[in-house]
Amino acid sequence: MRKSIKKALAMLAASALTLTMLAGCGSTASAPAASSPASTPASAPAEAGQDEPAAPSGDPVKIGVLVADVSGEEALGFRSYYENYIASNYNVQLLYTDQLEDAAGERAAIEKFAAQGAQAIISFSSSDRAMQIETCADNELYYAVASGMLDDAQYEQYKSNPWFVGQVGPSMDTEFEAGKAMGEYFKQKGATKIAMYGAFIPNPMHVYRAAGVLVGLGATYGGASDKDAIVGQIFGDQGIDVSKVTADGVELVAYFQGFGDTTTDELNAAIQAAPDAFLSVGMATTFFTQQLNTAGIEFSDIDSFTSGNAEAMANGKLVYLAGKYSSSVGPIFAAVLDAVNGNAIRDAEGNALSVSQSYLVATDSATFDKYFTADKGDSPIFSKDVLDTVIGADVSYDDFVALVEADRS
Amino acid sequence: MAKTKIAAPSAASYRRRQMLITLLPLLALGVLFAALCAVVSTKGYRLDMYLEIIFNEGVVLAIVATGAIFIYTLGSFDISLGASTLFSAALGVQTYNATGSLPLMILVIFAVAIGCSLLSSVLASVFHIPVFVTTVAMMSVLSAIAAQIITTYGGALGGISIPGEVVKPLDKPWIKIVILIAFAALCVFIFNFTKIGRRQKFLGGNPVCAQLTGIDLNKYAIIAFVMAGLGVGIGAFLTLVYTPSVNTGTASSIGMNIIVAIVFGGMPISGGARSRIYAALVGGFSYILLNNILMLLIEGNAGYGISQIISAVFFLAVVYVTGINYRTQTLPR
Repeated sequence: MRKSIKKALAMLAASALTLTMLAGCGSTASAPAASSPASTPASAPAEAGQDEPAAPSGDPVKIGVLVADVSGEEALGFRSYYENYIASNYNVQLLYTDQLEDAAGERAAIEKFAAQGAQAIISFSSSDRAMQIETCADNELYYAVASGMLDDAQYEQYKSNPWFVGQVGPSMDTEFEAGKAMGEYFKQKGATKIAMYGAFIPNPMHVYRAAGVLVGLGATYGGASDKDAIVGQIFGDQGIDVSKVTADGVELVAYFQGFGDTTTDELNAAIQAAPDAFLSVGMATTFFTQQLNTAGIEFSDIDSFTSGNAEAMANGKLVYLAGKYSSSVGPIFAAVLDAVNGNAIRDAEGNALSVSQSYLVATDSATFDKYFTADKGDSPIFSKDVLDTVIGADVSYDDFVALVEADRS
Repeated sequence: MAKTKIAAPSAASYRRRQMLITLLPLLALGVLFAALCAVVSTKGYRLDMYLEIIFNEGVVLAIVATGAIFIYTLGSFDISLGASTLFSAALGVQTYNATGSLPLMILVIFAVAIGCSLLSSVLASVFHIPVFVTTVAMMSVLSAIAAQIITTYGGALGGISIPGEVVKPLDKPWIKIVILIAFAALCVFIFNFTKIGRRQKFLGGNPVCAQLTGIDLNKYAIIAFVMAGLGVGIGAFLTLVYTPSVNTGTASSIGMNIIVAIVFGGMPISGGARSRIYAALVGGFSYILLNNILMLLIEGNAGYGISQIISAVFFLAVVYVTGINYRTQTLPR
């Protein structure tokens, strides 16, 4: 027994030693800057005294990044752009969270970043953005939403908060338009039998995209043909009721939604209906590419420019992709850096940025490669040269909007 | 041939060993706390902030796990506690949004939490199936209903919430400490100073023998689930105090973390005479401390996976260490 206790104590001691060793091997990040720029309110930018981007010397600007997805190819693309391109071109240190699952995780992550001396937060996580803004304000951290938008009421509530830098990403209107353009593409192509995948409706993004697809196909839903009425009904139905879809010359022969591994029967039924095209409002390229390629059914998706989608478009049946590209998160980084440097960009009323960013659309491999391969290299779409045009003291709200909304196709 | 005489351990040495093994989880908590302080200080981060964050991360787990000790003592198992926390919080939010009444919201949270817990117990009694089977079913049902409520009423936000200012005044460490101490004291009293705790340990250690002596398993199972429900109710309320919103991922990890916390606290999952209330408190905070230390030490994309592996190794090590105590030739006293 005594021997066993000795073993147990030895194990505890070994554990402690292991921790100590890990401490020695861990990051040797420098201590937070003694005078954190984050303590300077945005309302007094001149006092920060930095007109130019942070020079690649001295203490780096620490920016915490909240992520809810740590394995998706789109998320990894964003991360690669920040860690490999942005971090090597600007004097910044980007601190990433693990996969955040709920609002409590988001709040704890923000507070930990504050404890680590971060000066700003860029959020890819959306469990509770109102709480994120309030937590950042409490801890005097600048906050920005990347690749997404607050809902209108939340934006109105927080737009004058000096710590809220802004948001750049597809608005719900942009989501609707992306779906509409997809529907129109296939209608013009002559598709008459359509199968549709609603992804994770009632996720608002997917609801708006699905409503857009129906409008693009020239369909009505429950007798309604305008965006708001269709969106309201889809939210109410928690999906699309095929019996409520009416369209001249186009028939919705199958519809389903949900995770790919739980919808095998629905997918097979959709394939059996022999549609001319399979329209997805998200995630089909993740779940169904192989089956749709095998069945020889042309399909589309709203996703991102990834290697998997490049292969599906080059050698499979993916014929339409509206997607985000890795460097699309560049402008919001520039806005955050401006805010940290005391040059926060506000609109004429002094409100936070809110700029909708459109998807790029590829319908052939050449176009796809232009957005995918080129954006991954040393000269991404939002390169340092491009971003530097909106980093500095003299950048106006209009300059920033023009940069984001410029045609990148 | 000379006979080897095996001397029985004296009562004093047995008590010393028991004491030492009993203190091991506390010792480990102390080591982890010291390690965290060392790592945070070495990196130049703010220790005061880290300690508050870790307390906030651990308090809900510690409270829910403390309530769950009563179930685990019976040798039973409840995997639905996370889903129950989510469901209670979701209905609490809906109640506040419908009535604007904070007391009513709290009442609903506790009623739902205890009700869900009791339902698991009653279903098991009625259908004569193991309790953990009903809790697996309850987990699915409660998660699905909560998800339906959240997605239906959450709209474009993807979650439901109450105004932050309603609960912000309660988001103070001292309030949470008082709640934690009060609930732990209640549990210690019931567990250690009433016949409920003794009989539950007996039922967990040897259910056949206990029932033959006239102890009603169903009665003590119901009491255990009421206590667990109380812990879930407090946990759901403190979850809303920390973040006044609920989405489908809220409290999703609590169910599994409770098991880890109880093991880290030095209590056998099989329950019985070696069950201890403080195991949940010690284990809950030890687990949170360990996670945070690993997160600080292993940065980068691979950090999460490596942290999980190291946590698993620690888990096995603790099971081994605590297991030493069970392999004695002497019955527990």
